[in-house]
Amino acid sequence: MSATFLLLRYSLKRFRTTVLTMGLLLSGFQMILIAVARSIQTSGGFEQLSALLPPFARELLGPSLTSFMSFAGIVCVGYFHLAVMSSLIALAVTIATIPTSEIETGFIDLILARPLARHWIVTRTIAALLLSTLVMLALMMGGTWTGLQVLAPKDVPWPSWKLVFSLAANLGLLMLAWGGVGLAIGSASQRRGVAGAIGGLLALAAFLLDYVGRLWKPAESVAWVSPFRYYSPFEMVMGNPLPAKHLLVLGCIAAAGFGTAYAVFARRDISH
Amino acid sequence: MAPISIRGITKQYGRLRAVSNLHLDAAEGEILGFLGLNGAGKTTTIRILLDLLRPTSGEALIFGRDCRAEGLQARASIGYLPGEMGIYSDLTGQEVLDLLAGLDRQTVDKKRRRELQDRLEFPDSDLRRRLRVYSTGMKRKLGLIQAFQADPRLLILDEPTEGLDPLMQQSFYSLLADAKKRGRTVFMSSHVLSEVDRVCDRIAILRNGELVLLSTVEETRSRAARRVRVSFAEDTSAPRDLPPGSEIVQANPRLWNLKVQGPLGSLLRAMSGLAVRDIEIEEPRLEDVVMEYYHEGAE
Repeated sequence: MSATFLLLRYSLKRFRTTVLTMGLLLSGFQMILIAVARSIQTSGGFEQLSALLPPFARELLGPSLTSFMSFAGIVCVGYFHLAVMSSLIALAVTIATIPTSEIETGFIDLILARPLARHWIVTRTIAALLLSTLVMLALMMGGTWTGLQVLAPKDVPWPSWKLVFSLAANLGLLMLAWGGVGLAIGSASQRRGVAGAIGGLLALAAFLLDYVGRLWKPAESVAWVSPFRYYSPFEMVMGNPLPAKHLLVLGCIAAAGFGTAYAVFARRDISH
Repeated sequence: MAPISIRGITKQYGRLRAVSNLHLDAAEGEILGFLGLNGAGKTTTIRILLDLLRPTSGEALIFGRDCRAEGLQARASIGYLPGEMGIYSDLTGQEVLDLLAGLDRQTVDKKRRRELQDRLEFPDSDLRRRLRVYSTGMKRKLGLIQAFQADPRLLILDEPTEGLDPLMQQSFYSLLADAKKRGRTVFMSSHVLSEVDRVCDRIAILRNGELVLLSTVEETRSRAARRVRVSFAEDTSAPRDLPPGSEIVQANPRLWNLKVQGPLGSLLRAMSGLAVRDIEIEEPRLEDVVMEYYHEGAE
């Protein structure tokens, strides 16, 4: 066990700059969004934007329009903006493929030539993934909190902390689910680049599937296989609670990925 | 209990048989050279011993422990130097040694590490540097320190002197001699046959995944023909018949180059009536025998 902590410490030490830099960037992004929302709010832009929409569009969009055309709505965008989601998923896949990188470089030979069971390599990676996810979300929420404290105009309703936590929790589980997928792919791969590319392409395909499924009825029947289907920020911003089913499904995807990684890594030949 | 006991190991990759029904034992306290051309199956065998690769059939034991079923106990007594040191370039040498020492079950004695550093001329200032600035030789020295630092009972070394300068090679040989003196077993692969000749007690030669020779270095060397150079004071024609085991490689009127297998007595007797001016005898070389085995047609 202590050997795993030692490995985890070294892995985190190697990744701390990447995780902290990305976390601070996303934290800064939250603050920028708050500054943008403040600017629109103080110039009366939300009312103007709403008025510009034709009545049929306002009817079509329903309550989501008022949810998004508001200060709180823009602040929440920081938790489901495509750039934020893709950054977090890329980080998850990068961390999940640490074992593949160690196989590729040959570092794993030195580690596993010691009395260390293979499953600790996977456990260490899962721990690194969990910690990185927590750090990223904490920094993002820290950015939201700081931005609201410093930049939010007075007398404007903020998004509730329950909503922010729900968005962060759902986003965090989405990140872990992709981490699980990345770890499963990486545990069977020889090259990190290949594992990363497969993980990235899968994420893109799943995102497109979910997107098409939301717009086009026939695609909806297969869109359930996409993990993105289980991240519904719009519904939460409109006031719906965080669906437990979504958390469960994403958690199961992550667990299945981790389980597959344990099984595959225990059986595979390690050669570079 | 034998430090290494390989029983009928076969490793197949699809149609390719990397190692074929290999049986091999290493005795306690010996230095066993593991030889073969690239792709002969040496590294595959080493990786099976470390449970990095799983054999298609057969089993390998380290001090009586199955490399797979009891891998943790088996590897607890191994110090391993890989052929290529794959290490994170953003770590310092010190961090690598500390990390690997932390993963060992044996406690690493700081004095021992200091002694290794001194003998391999690896000062603390180098240990504090990041690995990205290390030369090939420095990485090799770091690799040797991490393999030897826990003073393991069995050392598995893959091309240990690759990249080391001649002085460091000498230091390494002295480390090996000390390890042997303390009863440690060394299993090393090498392409440097002069090194094998110098440090190994026995050699095992693999060819296309099959063991083609397992013998002591002395015995192997004795199979080699000696090179004999005879110069004459006057023109001498080469005889039609030479004693069995002797063969003229090149003959000039005043100089013969011969290869002699076995004792020289009969050759000397055959030349007793000739105007011999000088005789030079080269000791048999391990390299000559090993090279024969490397070639496909060797017996």
